[in-house]
Amino acid sequence: MTGAAASMTGNLRAVLRPSVVISVAAVLAAALLGVALIFAMGVPVLDAVAAFVDGTVGTPYAIAASINRSIAFALVGIGFVIANRANLVNVGGEGQIAMGGIAATAVALYGHVDGLPAGLPFVIPLIAAAIAGMLWGSIAGVLKIKAGTNEVISTLLLSFIAVWLLYWCVQSPALLRKPMTNSATLPESLEIPDPTKLPLLTDDYSFPVHVGLPITIVIAIVAAIVLSKTVFGLQLRAVGFNPIAASRAGISYSRMVMISLATAGALGGLAGGFMLLGEQYVLKDGFSSGYGFDGLVAGLLARGSVVGVIAAALLFGFLRSGGINMEMVAGVPTALVMVIQGLIVVTLAGAAFFIGGRRT
Amino acid sequence: MSDPIRNLSEPLLTLQGVTKRFGALPALSDASLDIVPGEVHCILGENGAGKSTLCNLIFGVHVPDEGVMRFHGKSYQPAGPSDALTNGIAMVHQHFSLVHNMTVVDNVILGQQSGFVNTKAWARRLERLANDYGFALDPYAKIEDLSVGERQRVEIVKCLIRQPRLFLLDEPTAVLLPDEIAALLEVCRRVAESGCAVVLVTHKLAEIKKAADRVTVLRGGRVVARSDHPAEEIDALVRAMIQGDVKSLDKSAASALSVVEADGSHAGRAAPAETPAQEAVQIDGLTVIDGQGVTRLDNFTLSIGPGEIVGVAGVEGNGQSELAAVLSGMAAPSRGRVFLGDIETTHLSPKEITAAGIGVVPEDRHTVGCVVEMSVAENIFLNRLEAFTSFGFLRRKELVQAARELMTRFDVRAAGPEVAFSALSGGNQQKAVLAREITLPKLLFLLAAQPTRGLDVGAVAAVYGHIRSACQRGAAVLLISSELDELIAVADRIVVLYRGRIMGNCAANSSERERIGAMMAGQAPGQAA
Repeated sequence: MTGAAASMTGNLRAVLRPSVVISVAAVLAAALLGVALIFAMGVPVLDAVAAFVDGTVGTPYAIAASINRSIAFALVGIGFVIANRANLVNVGGEGQIAMGGIAATAVALYGHVDGLPAGLPFVIPLIAAAIAGMLWGSIAGVLKIKAGTNEVISTLLLSFIAVWLLYWCVQSPALLRKPMTNSATLPESLEIPDPTKLPLLTDDYSFPVHVGLPITIVIAIVAAIVLSKTVFGLQLRAVGFNPIAASRAGISYSRMVMISLATAGALGGLAGGFMLLGEQYVLKDGFSSGYGFDGLVAGLLARGSVVGVIAAALLFGFLRSGGINMEMVAGVPTALVMVIQGLIVVTLAGAAFFIGGRRT
Repeated sequence: MSDPIRNLSEPLLTLQGVTKRFGALPALSDASLDIVPGEVHCILGENGAGKSTLCNLIFGVHVPDEGVMRFHGKSYQPAGPSDALTNGIAMVHQHFSLVHNMTVVDNVILGQQSGFVNTKAWARRLERLANDYGFALDPYAKIEDLSVGERQRVEIVKCLIRQPRLFLLDEPTAVLLPDEIAALLEVCRRVAESGCAVVLVTHKLAEIKKAADRVTVLRGGRVVARSDHPAEEIDALVRAMIQGDVKSLDKSAASALSVVEADGSHAGRAAPAETPAQEAVQIDGLTVIDGQGVTRLDNFTLSIGPGEIVGVAGVEGNGQSELAAVLSGMAAPSRGRVFLGDIETTHLSPKEITAAGIGVVPEDRHTVGCVVEMSVAENIFLNRLEAFTSFGFLRRKELVQAARELMTRFDVRAAGPEVAFSALSGGNQQKAVLAREITLPKLLFLLAAQPTRGLDVGAVAAVYGHIRSACQRGAAVLLISSELDELIAVADRIVVLYRGRIMGNCAANSSERERIGAMMAGQAPGQAA
């Protein structure tokens, strides 16, 4: 009897782990504050909420758009978590996305891939995107190993470089800008050929979730298993906790740094590839849209858990969609969603600090 | 030493039933104690017995969970160290807090005064004080130019200049040379004679014999014995401290504690062959020059035979760390070569060095020896996780089972192989590190740097036992230690490091103690004392 009761309370406690409760509470509190802000701005609250709901789950299209957005966040977030196991902070998601986008565009437009059979037309640009992101992440790794450059600085600065590289690519006709037919030609690339666009899960264009979703789910599962069940995951953790002891035990610090930053970069690049081949189809300035930073925040909030990354990515994905709709329909600035997102981050981080502080 | 007046005087500080818990674990339970003016009161106990907790309670770092403290008959509830200081209680910590590029007098003034200062007046006061207590201290010397012993004197002066009524010293002799220990104990006696109460925390019995008026023994957070005549009752005190008879101790562990005189006879171990057929380890002209161009290790040459234990004596910071770093593959030497049998290991990576059969018990357990956030099992096999891997996946059950076996064999006490390494006591952590390094598939050379630092008597004996068993199985052992007694007790011969150079070479024999001590202080063996 007592045993059963104890195990029940145990289960209950596991479900209601402080972190889960606190996370939900933090999200709710932030949402309430957001509503209060909307009210303070004089916008009819019900209209705004209706517009928000409409933008998130109101139509199949809205749901699909939110999910596609979440995919990019999740990939960057998973990369963040992997690098973070080695105690590295990859804030370069934005640049890795940009590099992925450039590579995917270049290969899709000029790689002669659109005639290839069986998925290759979009798989090859995706691989190119991942490789480009990987290289971008690896630069930070090399700098870290050879010169001891802090990866926070290097990945952030590399992001600026990547974002301006992308700008250059779409501005220069010698690079990816579409042929200038007249002075009004926009600084953007040509639209990628149809075969290179990511296939949709359902052929229904009113629910345009692309194949990035299953790929991302597989990546998340693999990442979770590698981190928790393999020797590599253990070694990554050892390096993260104590690089000196780990290297004395024969675990190569350089190898771990390179692999984790390269992987994080590859996932960022892949996110860029998905964004381009799955939604935007045209490379233009501002392509990465801050997704790299949202993904970073998703990774941060997840505190090392891949499942947590998925949850945070979905939350942010739907928030963004709802926010955009709120702006279009109810005239609430989309910046408000950013504010709410910021509030969630601050409350969650604060709560984590609070819990951690009380534990000792 | 015994002073009848003392017994008449009112206690300065009284503790009644003081308990302090960290989490569920009581670090100190129901401790009662009184300290009278003019005495040197030693607190004796193994590591983890609650000595530092006791000091920290008195100094206001921690607040007791239960019990009362009275100072001068009045209730004493310090809110922090500054309260303790205002009450006239000063403390010398194990770790110094000095600003290295400032002078002695500046360091003393720091924290004592704000606003304008008259450095000259302070310097005069400081010299007078040092004179009163019988030591010399240059007020204008920079801390970074001072030896560890001198730095400790600065810490002591920082306390004494406040004219405390109660003076706490937490394990002050751990870092000192034999001569410096004697001088420190003399200072303690003089401070006590001036009417101040001195509380000296130690686990060394020789110090109690020399300096203590009274002794309180802690074990597992409880007061288990007191003595007003410690010199005569030393055996009983040791028994109380470890709950075992002195004679049942490992002989060398006992001598390292100076319970019995070290005789260098190494009972229980076969003498190594006179002329080993082949050197197991050959270190040839190893030189380490650091980034600033300072020679940290200078032409270190040594060979160790199979089954031989060579001790490296020396005050810390004389090249030991650099030697260990090079031998364990953590740093490259500027010059010189290392051979293990026929294999050159000079520039091998730590992984290759482990594979070659070199076990390393690092000096700094927490930085180099283990990952405290990970489990005991993971730590025990950190250097050969591949042995528990199929297709990249960790066979965790097997790992845990193997770890459990090693934990039994090496007496690593923990709630299980899967608890965090940080949950283990220092002694058990060290035993786990030894378990990992000694059970290397083919151990040819064991490098043990300060392997018993911070360990209690039982753990020390176990560590010695494991080192000896490694050497019985034919491994060459290099034992780096700043505890001379330990080297004399365990090693076959000793080389002395001073400023990176080998000052001399002698048998590990207690009759050589003074000569070794002189060499540790930088005197060449031929030089007259």
